Amino acid sequence: MVTESQLKEALRSWLSQKNPAVPVETIGDDTPLIDQRLLTSIQVMDLALFLEDLRGEPLDMTRLRAGAFSSINAIWSTFFAGVSA
Amino acid sequence: MLSLETLVEKLNASSERDYPAPTWGLEWPEQFPEGAWAFSPELLSLSGLPVLETFSEEQLKRLALLEAGNFFSLNINGEKSLIEGLARQCYRPQTHAVTSYIHHFLEEESRHMRTFGAFCLKYVGKTYPDKKMVFEREYAEGEEDFLFWTKVMIFEETADSYNVYMAADERLHPLVRGIHKMHHHDESRHLAFGRQMVREIWAEHSPKWDATVIQGIRAYLNSYATSVWREYHNPEVYRDMGLADAYALFKASFDGPVARERRAKMSAKPIKFLVGLGVFEEDPAW
Repeated sequence: MVTESQLKEALRSWLSQKNPAVPVETIGDDTPLIDQRLLTSIQVMDLALFLEDLRGEPLDMTRLRAGAFSSINAIWSTFFAGVSA
Repeated sequence: MLSLETLVEKLNASSERDYPAPTWGLEWPEQFPEGAWAFSPELLSLSGLPVLETFSEEQLKRLALLEAGNFFSLNINGEKSLIEGLARQCYRPQTHAVTSYIHHFLEEESRHMRTFGAFCLKYVGKTYPDKKMVFEREYAEGEEDFLFWTKVMIFEETADSYNVYMAADERLHPLVRGIHKMHHHDESRHLAFGRQMVREIWAEHSPKWDATVIQGIRAYLNSYATSVWREYHNPEVYRDMGLADAYALFKASFDGPVARERRAKMSAKPIKFLVGLGVFEEDPAW
């Protein structure tokens, strides 16, 4: 299980790879990823598999709303905060 | 008071008396025979990776059964979205002329899902869940319909290339071959219909779309064509095989030359069609 700071850095790096024109330092914890099109619906499956690997268990996507992926903080809160190591 | 389970059994029996579903002569063994192939070995998502060379034939056949479960599951997941979209297309002023066929389309997709689901639950013990999600956004006039039908076409024609291949593969168990044959038989109608919808919506709307919309459509469909294939490399299948580092296997198999070549070959027909129509300027970078 990753720590909060490890997860956020890993996510920033993943988003930066998907958006090479966007400087990584401009992707903050509350940057609206979907509104700014840093994350598209096509990329969500890729991100879900990446998060499952970091989390060590599958995600149940059927229970999720788009808001779960709206920012780095939202991803941390939805999938990692409160999950024991 | 009947339990829900008992009520469903009674309702199933009643519906099947009134509307018997075609069985296609498929025979369903109690258990999938251990010595039988459920998936063509060269289509296994891990083919080309060193890990497969360490597998015994028994392990390869187990992986083939799980990959068959994954293939049928990704079809169920795709058809769920398709059915939602088709239901929205019915009885709109612009679709009155085609609504009668959409009813057949819906009915046949529902039957496919039922067959695939039966295989997965009986022989794999589960279906593999969907990982896709669609974010709401604004569209130019006609763009949403165009993307819907084009995505349907890419998804279904790609899956159908597997149907055709495996329906003809004599190494596979007759039930698996029969399911692929049945699916392909119905898909040939769906594919003809889907192509015509794509052709007509493109002809009607694309002259009104500006360069930004066209470039957006191109980029989106280009990414979609590749993303369809991610579902064919499912880390959950690798975990179910007891393999370590399933995500690394997903990355290695998806990015490897065998998979790239397979994508180019198995998705060639819809891509050629889209290049011919002018939607794509070139093949996706597989």
